[in-house]
Amino acid sequence: MKFKLLTPVLVLSAMGIAFSAQAHDPKEHMKDAENPNCSAMEGMDHSKMDMNDPVMQAMMTQCMENMHHGDDGHSMNHDDASDNKHKDSSAKQHSEHKH
Amino acid sequence: MPTLTAFIKSLLIAAFIGLVGGGVFIYSGLYPIGADEPHNKLSYWLLETLRERSIARAASNIQIPDNLNTSDRLLAGGADYNDMCAGCHLKPGKSESDFTIGLYPSPPNLAAIADTHGSESGSDGNKGGNRDGTAIQRQFWIIKHGIKASGMPAWGPTHSDERIWNMVAFLQRLPSLTEDQYQILTARGKL
Repeated sequence: MKFKLLTPVLVLSAMGIAFSAQAHDPKEHMKDAENPNCSAMEGMDHSKMDMNDPVMQAMMTQCMENMHHGDDGHSMNHDDASDNKHKDSSAKQHSEHKH
Repeated sequence: MPTLTAFIKSLLIAAFIGLVGGGVFIYSGLYPIGADEPHNKLSYWLLETLRERSIARAASNIQIPDNLNTSDRLLAGGADYNDMCAGCHLKPGKSESDFTIGLYPSPPNLAAIADTHGSESGSDGNKGGNRDGTAIQRQFWIIKHGIKASGMPAWGPTHSDERIWNMVAFLQRLPSLTEDQYQILTARGKL
């Protein structure tokens, strides 16, 4: 009788641990993930932007793809390689936080 | 010496009466524990002082990373903030939510103010690298360990220190972000 109970208890415990470990993986949030609204950046005066500001750098990282492939042909003078590096690094950070 | 003996006896009797009285009060159920009725001034002061002193002591030795003010940290921390914190601590363009109205004590609006509780300076909040170290240590500790009976959970058991530092990095810039900037920085989706 004890052995009959042991198996489901072990299985349920293992499943519980596995599911709780995935609960806060950033990938779990991707189902409802919004896209960055980069059209807001198109109206900004780029000459007044401080490209050394991490906020601006982060926005450029998020929107670079949109800026280069947008229908209105807006393009920003920015280093693609640098942006890809940012994106890779950011993605790497996310993937490191699996639980 | 009989005076001293009488004094000690009186002290012990007073302490005993205090303990018994306190116990009777606790078990009577007379204290209003609902979140929709504020603490009286004494209870509030006791709990706030206990909280702030405990956090200040526990957070004082936390080492702050040198590279807190980077775009990578803002992007990683921003997305997590939006998913895990914005419901209670709000975001640019939002001044209240069901949680800010219903929770007691009300969670601080981190999008509107630099969270400097327990710190005497560091109110600029605009440039991440310049924030007061005590406030930064405090934010890290609170996110990691949570606060008992306040609604603030401990994220440490499920999130690495690095991921928590990313959120702290984002908090340094949050009060200065516009709604548009916030949306772009916190969006997880790919274009």
